[in-house]
Amino acid sequence: MAHQAHAYHMVDPSPWPLTGATAALLMTSGLAIWFHFHSLSLLYLGLTLLLLTMIQWWRDIIREGTFQGHHTPPVQKGLRYGMILFITSEVFFFLGFFWAFYHSSLAPTPELGGCWPPTGINPLDPFEVPLLNTAVLLASGVTVTWAHHSLMEGNRKEAIQALTLTIILGFYFTALQAMEYYEAPFTIADGVYGTTFFVATGFHGLHVIIGSTFLTICLLRQIQYHFTSEHHFGFEAAAWYWHFVDVVWLFLYVSIYWWGS
Amino acid sequence: MAMAAFRWKLWSCGLSRLTASRTPAARVIARPMASTGIPTDEEQSTGLERKTLQAIKKGMDPYSIFKPKEYAGTKEDPHVVPATTDKRLVGCICEEDNTAIVWFWLHSGNPQRCPSCGSHYKLEHHELPH
Repeated sequence: MAHQAHAYHMVDPSPWPLTGATAALLMTSGLAIWFHFHSLSLLYLGLTLLLLTMIQWWRDIIREGTFQGHHTPPVQKGLRYGMILFITSEVFFFLGFFWAFYHSSLAPTPELGGCWPPTGINPLDPFEVPLLNTAVLLASGVTVTWAHHSLMEGNRKEAIQALTLTIILGFYFTALQAMEYYEAPFTIADGVYGTTFFVATGFHGLHVIIGSTFLTICLLRQIQYHFTSEHHFGFEAAAWYWHFVDVVWLFLYVSIYWWGS
Repeated sequence: MAMAAFRWKLWSCGLSRLTASRTPAARVIARPMASTGIPTDEEQSTGLERKTLQAIKKGMDPYSIFKPKEYAGTKEDPHVVPATTDKRLVGCICEEDNTAIVWFWLHSGNPQRCPSCGSHYKLEHHELPH
Protein backbone atom coordinates (compact mmCIF):
# COMPACT_ATOMS: atom_id res chain seq x y z
CA MET A 1 0.00 0.00 0.00
CA ALA A 2 1.49 3.35 -1.03
CA HIS A 3 2.33 5.81 1.75
CA GLN A 4 0.46 8.87 0.59
CA ALA A 5 -1.00 11.75 2.62
CA HIS A 6 -3.78 12.42 0.10
CA ALA A 7 -6.94 10.55 -0.83
CA TYR A 8 -6.42 10.48 -4.59
CA HIS A 9 -5.65 7.49 -6.76
CA MET A 10 -2.24 7.50 -8.47
CA VAL A 11 -3.00 4.89 -11.12
CA ASP A 12 -0.43 2.21 -11.92
CA PRO A 13 1.03 2.21 -15.46
CA SER A 14 -1.41 0.59 -17.88
CA PRO A 15 -1.20 -0.53 -21.53
CA TRP A 16 -4.87 0.07 -22.29
CA PRO A 17 -4.68 3.72 -23.38
CA LEU A 18 -2.08 2.66 -25.96
CA THR A 19 -4.09 -0.33 -27.19
CA GLY A 20 -7.17 1.93 -27.35
CA ALA A 21 -5.34 4.49 -29.45
CA THR A 22 -4.01 1.71 -31.67
CA ALA A 23 -7.55 0.37 -32.06
CA ALA A 24 -8.73 3.85 -33.09
CA LEU A 25 -5.99 4.01 -35.71
CA LEU A 26 -6.81 0.54 -37.04
CA MET A 27 -10.55 1.29 -37.20
CA THR A 28 -10.16 4.58 -39.07
CA SER A 29 -7.59 3.30 -41.53
CA GLY A 30 -9.54 0.03 -41.73
CA LEU A 31 -12.63 1.94 -42.77
CA ALA A 32 -10.66 3.68 -45.52
CA ILE A 33 -9.18 0.38 -46.70
CA TRP A 34 -12.66 -1.15 -46.81
CA PHE A 35 -13.98 1.74 -48.87
CA HIS A 36 -11.17 1.64 -51.43
CA PHE A 37 -9.83 -1.91 -51.47
CA HIS A 38 -12.82 -3.98 -50.37
CA SER A 39 -10.98 -5.63 -47.41
CA LEU A 40 -12.43 -5.78 -43.91
CA SER A 41 -9.40 -7.29 -42.13
CA LEU A 42 -7.97 -4.08 -40.68
CA LEU A 43 -11.40 -2.96 -39.52
CA TYR A 44 -12.04 -6.30 -37.80
CA LEU A 45 -8.64 -6.12 -36.15
CA GLY A 46 -9.40 -2.64 -34.87
CA LEU A 47 -12.80 -3.65 -33.54
CA THR A 48 -11.33 -6.69 -31.78
CA LEU A 49 -8.61 -4.59 -30.19
CA LEU A 50 -11.24 -2.02 -29.14
CA LEU A 51 -13.36 -4.70 -27.48
CA LEU A 52 -10.34 -6.16 -25.66
CA THR A 53 -9.26 -2.68 -24.55
CA MET A 54 -12.66 -1.83 -23.12
CA ILE A 55 -13.02 -5.15 -21.31
CA GLN A 56 -9.59 -5.01 -19.73
CA TRP A 57 -9.56 -1.30 -18.91
CA TRP A 58 -12.92 -1.36 -17.17
CA ARG A 59 -12.09 -4.69 -15.52
CA ASP A 60 -9.01 -2.99 -14.06
CA ILE A 61 -11.10 -0.06 -12.80
CA ILE A 62 -13.43 -2.51 -11.04
CA ARG A 63 -10.39 -4.21 -9.49
CA GLU A 64 -8.94 -0.87 -8.34
CA GLY A 65 -12.22 0.43 -6.89
CA THR A 66 -14.12 -2.54 -5.53
CA PHE A 67 -11.31 -4.94 -4.68
CA GLN A 68 -8.47 -2.59 -3.75
CA GLY A 69 -10.43 0.31 -2.24
CA HIS A 70 -8.82 3.11 -4.25
CA HIS A 71 -12.14 4.89 -4.87
CA THR A 72 -12.20 7.19 -1.85
CA PRO A 73 -14.86 9.94 -1.66
CA PRO A 74 -12.78 12.50 -3.60
CA VAL A 75 -11.96 9.92 -6.27
CA GLN A 76 -15.62 9.03 -6.57
CA LYS A 77 -16.45 12.72 -6.92
CA GLY A 78 -14.02 12.93 -9.84
CA LEU A 79 -15.64 9.91 -11.47
CA ARG A 80 -19.03 11.61 -11.13
CA TYR A 81 -17.73 14.76 -12.82
CA GLY A 82 -16.24 12.60 -15.55
CA MET A 83 -19.48 10.79 -16.29
CA ILE A 84 -21.46 14.04 -16.31
CA LEU A 85 -19.00 15.64 -18.71
CA PHE A 86 -19.11 12.58 -20.96
CA ILE A 87 -22.91 12.56 -21.07
CA THR A 88 -22.84 16.30 -21.79
CA SER A 89 -20.57 15.66 -24.75
CA GLU A 90 -23.04 13.04 -26.00
CA VAL A 91 -25.85 15.58 -25.68
CA PHE A 92 -23.93 17.87 -28.03
CA PHE A 93 -23.38 14.94 -30.38
CA PHE A 94 -27.12 14.42 -30.69
CA LEU A 95 -27.77 18.15 -30.87
CA GLY A 96 -25.92 18.13 -34.18
CA PHE A 97 -28.27 15.58 -35.68
CA PHE A 98 -31.33 17.41 -34.40
CA TRP A 99 -29.92 20.57 -35.98
CA ALA A 100 -29.59 18.74 -39.28
CA PHE A 101 -33.15 17.44 -39.02
CA TYR A 102 -34.67 20.83 -38.25
CA HIS A 103 -32.54 22.55 -40.87
CA SER A 104 -34.01 20.35 -43.59
CA SER A 105 -37.54 19.99 -42.24
CA LEU A 106 -38.38 23.56 -41.24
CA ALA A 107 -37.74 24.91 -44.75
CA PRO A 108 -38.21 21.97 -47.14
CA THR A 109 -36.69 22.64 -50.57
CA PRO A 110 -38.54 22.49 -53.91
CA GLU A 111 -36.75 19.19 -54.66
CA LEU A 112 -38.70 17.65 -51.78
CA GLY A 113 -41.96 19.17 -53.01
CA GLY A 114 -41.74 22.09 -50.61
CA CYS A 115 -43.33 20.00 -47.86
CA TRP A 116 -42.37 17.79 -44.94
CA PRO A 117 -42.58 14.83 -44.99
CA PRO A 118 -41.25 15.11 -48.54
CA THR A 119 -43.37 14.00 -51.46
CA GLY A 120 -43.39 10.22 -51.81
CA ILE A 121 -42.37 9.53 -48.21
CA ASN A 122 -44.85 7.59 -46.07
CA PRO A 123 -43.70 8.18 -42.51
CA LEU A 124 -44.27 5.66 -39.73
CA ASP A 125 -47.43 6.19 -37.70
CA PRO A 126 -46.22 7.78 -34.46
CA PHE A 127 -49.08 6.22 -32.52
CA GLU A 128 -48.16 2.65 -33.34
CA VAL A 129 -44.80 1.00 -32.52
CA PRO A 130 -43.02 4.32 -31.83
CA LEU A 131 -45.53 5.08 -29.08
CA LEU A 132 -45.03 1.60 -27.62
CA ASN A 133 -41.28 2.22 -27.71
CA THR A 134 -41.81 5.44 -25.79
CA ALA A 135 -43.78 3.59 -23.12
CA VAL A 136 -41.13 0.87 -22.95
CA LEU A 137 -38.30 3.34 -22.35
CA LEU A 138 -40.27 5.37 -19.84
CA ALA A 139 -41.09 2.19 -17.94
CA SER A 140 -37.43 1.22 -17.98
CA GLY A 141 -36.65 4.59 -16.41
CA VAL A 142 -39.02 3.72 -13.60
CA THR A 143 -37.53 0.25 -13.10
CA VAL A 144 -33.96 1.54 -13.01
CA THR A 145 -34.99 4.05 -10.32
CA TRP A 146 -36.67 1.21 -8.43
CA ALA A 147 -33.42 -0.73 -8.67
CA HIS A 148 -31.47 2.22 -7.29
CA HIS A 149 -33.74 2.63 -4.31
CA SER A 150 -33.62 -1.11 -3.63
CA LEU A 151 -29.84 -0.88 -3.72
CA MET A 152 -29.75 2.02 -1.28
CA GLU A 153 -32.17 0.25 1.06
CA GLY A 154 -30.07 -2.91 1.06
CA ASN A 155 -32.67 -5.04 -0.68
CA ARG A 156 -30.67 -7.47 -2.83
CA LYS A 157 -33.56 -9.47 -4.30
CA GLU A 158 -35.51 -6.43 -5.48
CA ALA A 159 -32.40 -4.70 -6.79
CA ILE A 160 -31.65 -7.70 -8.98
CA GLN A 161 -35.27 -8.01 -10.10
CA ALA A 162 -35.64 -4.33 -10.99
CA LEU A 163 -32.32 -4.21 -12.82
CA THR A 164 -33.17 -7.36 -14.77
CA LEU A 165 -36.54 -5.88 -15.73
CA THR A 166 -34.81 -2.70 -16.90
CA ILE A 167 -32.51 -4.71 -19.13
CA ILE A 168 -35.38 -6.77 -20.52
CA LEU A 169 -37.23 -3.57 -21.41
CA GLY A 170 -34.09 -2.27 -23.08
CA PHE A 171 -33.83 -5.40 -25.21
CA TYR A 172 -37.54 -5.18 -26.00
CA PHE A 173 -37.02 -1.63 -27.31
CA THR A 174 -34.10 -2.75 -29.44
CA ALA A 175 -36.06 -5.70 -30.84
CA LEU A 176 -39.08 -3.52 -31.67
CA GLN A 177 -36.88 -0.90 -33.30
CA ALA A 178 -35.03 -3.53 -35.33
CA MET A 179 -38.37 -4.82 -36.59
CA GLU A 180 -39.44 -1.25 -37.46
CA TYR A 181 -36.20 -0.75 -39.40
CA TYR A 182 -36.81 -3.95 -41.34
CA GLU A 183 -40.43 -3.14 -42.12
CA ALA A 184 -40.03 0.59 -42.86
CA PRO A 185 -41.27 1.68 -46.32
CA PHE A 186 -38.31 4.07 -46.72
CA THR A 187 -34.54 3.65 -46.47
CA ILE A 188 -31.54 5.75 -45.46
CA ALA A 189 -31.03 6.50 -49.16
CA ASP A 190 -34.47 8.10 -49.52
CA GLY A 191 -33.41 11.72 -49.58
CA VAL A 192 -32.78 13.89 -46.61
CA TYR A 193 -35.79 12.41 -44.81
CA GLY A 194 -34.26 8.95 -44.84
CA THR A 195 -30.85 10.29 -43.89
CA THR A 196 -31.97 12.32 -40.91
CA PHE A 197 -34.35 9.60 -39.74
CA PHE A 198 -31.95 6.68 -39.81
CA VAL A 199 -28.82 8.52 -38.69
CA ALA A 200 -30.54 10.09 -35.68
CA THR A 201 -32.56 7.03 -34.64
CA GLY A 202 -29.67 4.75 -35.58
CA PHE A 203 -27.20 6.47 -33.28
CA HIS A 204 -29.87 6.45 -30.61
CA GLY A 205 -30.31 2.71 -31.05
CA LEU A 206 -26.56 2.23 -30.72
CA HIS A 207 -26.68 4.16 -27.45
CA VAL A 208 -29.53 1.96 -26.23
CA ILE A 209 -27.35 -1.08 -26.91
CA ILE A 210 -24.42 0.54 -25.11
CA GLY A 211 -26.66 1.45 -22.17
CA SER A 212 -28.13 -2.04 -22.00
CA THR A 213 -24.63 -3.50 -21.98
CA PHE A 214 -23.57 -1.15 -19.16
CA LEU A 215 -26.67 -2.14 -17.15
CA THR A 216 -25.97 -5.83 -17.77
CA ILE A 217 -22.45 -5.44 -16.40
CA CYS A 218 -24.00 -3.75 -13.35
CA LEU A 219 -26.40 -6.68 -12.92
CA LEU A 220 -23.52 -9.16 -12.98
CA ARG A 221 -21.61 -7.05 -10.46
CA GLN A 222 -24.65 -6.70 -8.20
CA ILE A 223 -25.13 -10.48 -8.26
CA GLN A 224 -21.50 -10.84 -7.22
CA TYR A 225 -21.89 -8.44 -4.28
CA HIS A 226 -19.67 -5.66 -5.67
CA PHE A 227 -22.02 -2.85 -4.66
CA THR A 228 -22.65 -1.61 -1.14
CA SER A 229 -25.76 0.29 -0.10
CA GLU A 230 -23.73 3.51 0.06
CA HIS A 231 -21.11 3.04 -2.67
CA HIS A 232 -22.34 1.91 -6.07
CA PHE A 233 -21.20 4.57 -8.48
CA GLY A 234 -20.89 2.17 -11.42
CA PHE A 235 -24.61 1.57 -11.13
CA GLU A 236 -25.37 5.28 -10.78
CA ALA A 237 -23.33 6.05 -13.89
CA ALA A 238 -25.26 3.38 -15.83
CA ALA A 239 -28.56 4.78 -14.57
CA TRP A 240 -27.59 8.33 -15.58
CA TYR A 241 -26.63 7.09 -19.03
CA TRP A 242 -29.89 5.18 -19.31
CA HIS A 243 -31.95 8.26 -18.39
CA PHE A 244 -30.00 10.25 -20.98
CA VAL A 245 -30.86 7.63 -23.62
CA ASP A 246 -34.50 7.86 -22.58
CA VAL A 247 -34.54 11.67 -22.86
CA VAL A 248 -32.93 11.55 -26.31
CA TRP A 249 -35.66 9.16 -27.43
CA LEU A 250 -38.35 11.54 -26.15
CA PHE A 251 -36.87 14.34 -28.25
CA LEU A 252 -36.59 12.01 -31.25
CA TYR A 253 -40.16 10.88 -30.84
CA VAL A 254 -41.60 14.37 -30.55
CA SER A 255 -39.43 15.90 -33.31
CA ILE A 256 -38.97 13.23 -35.96
CA TYR A 257 -41.77 10.76 -35.40
CA TRP A 258 -44.59 13.05 -34.35
CA TRP A 259 -43.97 16.61 -35.59
CA GLY A 260 -42.05 15.28 -38.59
CA SER A 261 -44.95 13.21 -39.82
CA MET B 1 -19.93 23.53 13.64
CA ALA B 2 -17.27 21.13 12.44
CA MET B 3 -19.83 18.31 12.46
CA ALA B 4 -22.14 20.31 10.24
CA ALA B 5 -19.25 21.00 7.88
CA PHE B 6 -18.39 17.27 7.79
CA ARG B 7 -22.01 16.42 7.06
CA TRP B 8 -22.23 18.87 4.18
CA LYS B 9 -18.97 17.61 2.71
CA LEU B 10 -20.13 13.99 2.81
CA TRP B 11 -23.30 14.96 0.97
CA SER B 12 -21.36 16.67 -1.75
CA CYS B 13 -19.21 13.57 -2.04
CA GLY B 14 -22.38 11.61 -2.77
CA LEU B 15 -22.37 9.73 0.50
CA SER B 16 -25.58 10.93 2.07
CA ARG B 17 -26.08 7.52 3.65
CA LEU B 18 -23.08 7.97 5.85
CA THR B 19 -24.53 10.95 7.68
CA ALA B 20 -27.26 8.78 9.17
CA SER B 21 -24.78 6.93 11.36
CA ARG B 22 -22.72 9.95 12.45
CA THR B 23 -24.24 10.73 15.82
CA PRO B 24 -24.30 8.04 18.53
CA ALA B 25 -28.09 8.37 18.80
CA ALA B 26 -28.53 7.38 15.16
CA ARG B 27 -26.15 4.41 15.35
CA VAL B 28 -28.79 2.03 13.89
CA ILE B 29 -27.91 0.68 10.45
CA ALA B 30 -30.25 2.65 8.20
CA ARG B 31 -31.92 -0.42 6.78
CA PRO B 32 -35.05 -2.28 7.97
CA MET B 33 -34.76 -5.91 9.05
CA ALA B 34 -36.72 -7.20 6.06
CA SER B 35 -34.24 -5.90 3.50
CA THR B 36 -31.02 -7.81 3.45
CA GLY B 37 -28.39 -9.08 1.12
CA ILE B 38 -26.52 -5.91 0.18
CA PRO B 39 -23.40 -5.20 2.23
CA THR B 40 -22.66 -1.81 3.72
CA ASP B 41 -19.42 0.14 3.43
CA GLU B 42 -18.83 -0.75 7.08
CA GLU B 43 -18.91 -4.43 6.16
CA GLN B 44 -17.19 -4.39 2.81
CA SER B 45 -15.05 -1.33 2.17
CA THR B 46 -11.33 -1.98 1.89
CA GLY B 47 -8.00 -0.28 1.32
CA LEU B 48 -7.66 3.47 1.30
CA GLU B 49 -11.43 3.93 0.99
CA ARG B 50 -11.93 2.02 4.23
CA LYS B 51 -9.24 4.04 5.96
CA THR B 52 -10.77 7.36 4.94
CA LEU B 53 -14.30 6.26 5.92
CA GLN B 54 -13.19 4.90 9.32
CA ALA B 55 -11.25 8.09 10.03
CA ILE B 56 -14.23 10.26 9.10
CA LYS B 57 -16.38 8.22 11.50
CA LYS B 58 -13.93 9.12 14.28
CA GLY B 59 -14.00 12.78 13.28
CA MET B 60 -10.47 12.68 11.82
CA ASP B 61 -9.17 13.67 8.39
CA PRO B 62 -5.69 12.17 7.91
CA TYR B 63 -5.89 12.40 4.12
CA SER B 64 -6.93 16.07 4.01
CA ILE B 65 -10.21 15.46 2.25
CA PHE B 66 -11.96 18.41 3.84
CA LYS B 67 -11.21 22.12 3.87
CA PRO B 68 -8.77 23.04 6.65
CA LYS B 69 -10.10 24.66 9.77
CA GLU B 70 -10.13 28.43 9.71
CA TYR B 71 -8.12 30.42 12.18
CA ALA B 72 -7.88 34.10 13.02
CA GLY B 73 -4.14 34.15 12.35
CA THR B 74 -3.42 36.15 15.51
CA LYS B 75 -0.77 35.36 18.12
CA GLU B 76 -3.46 33.75 20.31
CA ASP B 77 -5.10 31.87 17.45
CA PRO B 78 -2.42 31.16 14.85
CA HIS B 79 -3.07 29.29 11.61
CA VAL B 80 -2.27 25.68 12.45
CA VAL B 81 -0.43 24.02 9.54
CA PRO B 82 -0.30 20.20 9.67
CA ALA B 83 2.93 18.61 8.37
CA THR B 84 4.50 15.19 8.19
CA THR B 85 8.05 16.58 8.21
CA ASP B 86 9.83 19.44 10.05
CA LYS B 87 8.91 22.13 7.56
CA ARG B 88 6.17 22.91 5.07
CA LEU B 89 5.68 25.55 2.39
CA VAL B 90 2.99 28.09 3.20
CA GLY B 91 1.41 30.39 0.62
CA CYS B 92 -0.31 33.36 2.27
CA ILE B 93 -2.99 35.20 0.31
CA CYS B 94 -2.81 38.16 2.63
CA GLU B 95 -5.99 39.81 1.51
CA GLU B 96 -8.86 38.24 -0.41
CA ASP B 97 -8.38 38.36 -4.21
CA ASN B 98 -4.65 39.12 -3.91
CA THR B 99 -2.91 37.62 -6.91
CA ALA B 100 0.61 37.78 -5.48
CA ILE B 101 0.94 34.85 -3.08
CA VAL B 102 3.56 35.20 -0.37
CA TRP B 103 5.47 31.92 -0.12
CA PHE B 104 7.66 30.95 2.81
CA TRP B 105 8.90 27.87 4.64
CA LEU B 106 7.23 27.27 7.99
CA HIS B 107 9.54 25.40 10.40
CA SER B 108 8.61 23.40 13.45
CA GLY B 109 8.99 25.20 16.75
CA ASN B 110 8.04 28.82 17.38
CA PRO B 111 5.23 30.27 15.30
CA GLN B 112 6.30 32.45 12.38
CA ARG B 113 4.66 35.46 10.81
CA CYS B 114 3.89 36.14 7.15
CA PRO B 115 6.55 38.60 5.91
CA SER B 116 3.86 40.62 4.19
CA CYS B 117 0.74 40.75 6.36
CA GLY B 118 2.09 39.45 9.66
CA SER B 119 -0.44 36.62 10.18
CA HIS B 120 0.79 33.97 12.59
CA TYR B 121 1.42 30.39 11.46
CA LYS B 122 2.36 27.36 13.57
CA LEU B 123 3.54 23.98 12.31
CA GLU B 124 1.78 20.98 13.86
CA HIS B 125 3.41 17.58 13.45
CA HIS B 126 1.33 14.67 12.09
CA GLU B 127 2.41 11.13 11.39
CA LEU B 128 2.32 10.06 7.76
CA PRO B 129 -0.83 7.92 7.49
CA HIS B 130 0.02 4.33 6.62
